[in-house]
Amino acid sequence: MIEQAKEAFVIEAEELLNDLEGTILGLEDDASPARIDEVFRALHTVKGSGAMFAHTALSRFTHHVENAFDLVRSGQLEVTAELIDLSLKSRDVMAQFLDQGGDGPESEALLASSEAVSLIDGLSNLTGTSKQQISSDTASPATPKDTKNTSEQFEVIFKPDGGALKNGMRPDLLLAELSELGSCEVNYLTSDIPPLGDLDPKCAYMGWKIAITTSAGRQAIEDVFIFADDADLKIQASKALAPAEASPPAPENSGAKPKKPDAVKSKSAKADTRSESIRVASSRLDEMMDALGELVIAQARLDSVASDIGHQTLDNVVEEVQRLVTSLRDATLSIRMVPVDTVFGKFKRVVRDLSVDLGKNVNLVLEGGQTEVDKNIIDRISEPLVHMIRNSIDHGLEKPETRATNGKTEQGTIWLSARQEGGEILIAIEDDGNGLDTQAIRARAIDRGLIEADDDHTESALHQLIFEPGFSTAATVSAVSGRGVGMDAVRTTIDDLGGQVTVLSKPGKGSRVTLRLPVTMAIIDGLRVRLGSRVFVIPLASVEECVEMAIDEHARGSGRRILQIRDETVPYLNLDTLFGIETKKSGQQRVVIVRVDGARAGLVVDDILGQSQTVIKSLSAYHRDIPGLGGATILGDGSVALILDVSTLVRWAETDLARSKQMVA
Amino acid sequence: MVDRLSDEGAAPMLLTFRLDGEAFAFPVTRVHEILDPIPYTPVPNASAFAPGVINVRGIVVPLVDIRHRLLMSPAAETETSRIIVFEVDIAGTRQKLAFRADSVEQVLEGVSDKIEPLPELGAVWPRRYVQGALRHEDELIVLLDSHELFAPSQDTSEAA
Repeated sequence: MIEQAKEAFVIEAEELLNDLEGTILGLEDDASPARIDEVFRALHTVKGSGAMFAHTALSRFTHHVENAFDLVRSGQLEVTAELIDLSLKSRDVMAQFLDQGGDGPESEALLASSEAVSLIDGLSNLTGTSKQQISSDTASPATPKDTKNTSEQFEVIFKPDGGALKNGMRPDLLLAELSELGSCEVNYLTSDIPPLGDLDPKCAYMGWKIAITTSAGRQAIEDVFIFADDADLKIQASKALAPAEASPPAPENSGAKPKKPDAVKSKSAKADTRSESIRVASSRLDEMMDALGELVIAQARLDSVASDIGHQTLDNVVEEVQRLVTSLRDATLSIRMVPVDTVFGKFKRVVRDLSVDLGKNVNLVLEGGQTEVDKNIIDRISEPLVHMIRNSIDHGLEKPETRATNGKTEQGTIWLSARQEGGEILIAIEDDGNGLDTQAIRARAIDRGLIEADDDHTESALHQLIFEPGFSTAATVSAVSGRGVGMDAVRTTIDDLGGQVTVLSKPGKGSRVTLRLPVTMAIIDGLRVRLGSRVFVIPLASVEECVEMAIDEHARGSGRRILQIRDETVPYLNLDTLFGIETKKSGQQRVVIVRVDGARAGLVVDDILGQSQTVIKSLSAYHRDIPGLGGATILGDGSVALILDVSTLVRWAETDLARSKQMVA
Repeated sequence: MVDRLSDEGAAPMLLTFRLDGEAFAFPVTRVHEILDPIPYTPVPNASAFAPGVINVRGIVVPLVDIRHRLLMSPAAETETSRIIVFEVDIAGTRQKLAFRADSVEQVLEGVSDKIEPLPELGAVWPRRYVQGALRHEDELIVLLDSHELFAPSQDTSEAA
């Protein structure tokens, strides 16, 4: 039970910290009270629940950041670039605490690390005059009643809601927190406790009446009970012990009232939207997906059995089952969909940090963040995207001075956009920088033996070379990029996901890298084709059309493998020779036209069998690296069919090894 | 050599099977199941050591040809042929693979103390794939090293 609660805390805290990054960054443009409150509430929750769930080091660290924002909230501290910077870095440290999984020697070491200490010092410097009050951290309850001359006495009546204990409220912790604000005199209110026979041990019956003397003000007391929404809470100032100078909360005895219901309202509105969704471990979704995969395969088997039997009633049922399986598949896949915003959000930070490091002025524009993609894909494209954004800032965008001399705005812009197109999602990273250096790429490519010195390549063909292994034209190796392991790693990842990547560049104007990814990779629509006696599956997303090929097309024997389709010539590949499969070239062969790296190519097959839902099973280490194969699937008759990966297939076919294979054949 | 046995427990049970009349053995703990022969799907351009894949209860499992690594020539399927589905650790993850044996014989128990290094003479199999040997009912049974034998190929000479 407690383990579950701990897990829930970690998940919640991770989400809070994720959101926190965006919210803090947002303070740069808009330091509205609502936003500041949001930051404060997130910090307060992390601190409070952290202490409860064995993350006390995290809690103690967070306390310092929370203090700073408490002062901001009460108008005693300005939102400055320094505060934002410190907060962002603190957020990172908080994330580290969370990664360590709770209290232990590690978290103590982190709390004592120079990074954490310097952040705490930096925050304390900002909070300035009130330092003495803050520096005594939560670990040692402070009683600052005499340290300030603005002490007031409040009478607090706190009566938790009946169900509060079931919801995990810990009145003892609230009282302990309250006692940190000042000296308390606690009395119990026992009038509501029923006779023993009627007492439900899970219910909260007790109340507390606390007389507290504090200099922290009414707001601080309210904050202690910030999450005790349903409780009956009355706070009354009894009398000020000293003149209340420069302490805004003090005079508003009644003024504080409207503030509280407001806060409650906005919170409960948030709670409402949350109750509409539930949190599920992604491993459970994977299990569900696996089961669905089996169902799709079983259904394909049922299909083929039914067509053998050829019974009308059975066919009707099979058709109905097929319809249901399809809608179940779509529903299940949609559960796994998350908006790309979840990954886009973190780039604000990347761009901010990098533009400072590299002395560039960058504006990041995000578009289409609501576009949804399978979570597995989201998880894997984040690294490549970071890499490409770094490239854009490091190589693409010029320094402000250079931009000014070239008649551009000093501030460079990076557009990161996503949109869906059929079964694919397109993600583009575009900058208005200097574009790719075509000559440098050409020189480098010749240097590395990728092209011949006298080869005639179009600009765009040269540009695609940046995705080749070990290709980097950066003159200097910086920490950011230029190690030449960049773009080919990007392409490898995108290939693995069954996607494609292309680059477009205009000298002096900028460049754009486009990723084309399947929306999901668990189940795809596939085109079954026959090659000899074997069946292969081509992902339907990369298929553009299918055409017939006359036998005499082969017989021409000019050595050129070019097909005339309407007024266009398309190169084609003989899959049988590439795969070493014997086929009788009787009858008419067919050509499946696919699009790879922006160009069309034809794949010659013996027959096209039809399309079907295809559950992708990954290949083992023995077969994973074979070019042209993207996975395997199980057909309706129980046999295994291989799924083609058209990108690697076409690219591999252009290599010498494959060429010689085709020549021999 | 023999100390690797300790991975498999103190008293390993061995599954014996035959290839070209010779007796071989693997620890039975790694054997997942034994199937009657089923057609396999050839993987184009795969190494001769792992020529295809089969469907084992909804899982796509690579079919490896251990005859190839043991320097035996290919053999046709017979009445007694069986497919042994085996579990190995490759790069830290446990996965299934399958290989064909001419026949599956028996499970031997309590023979761990009889395992000795393979005799120098008369051993035609590459030593790296052999973990040891034992005499049982007047026959030499060769205990194979599954870790070495099933390692994915880095060797281009194995390409088809």
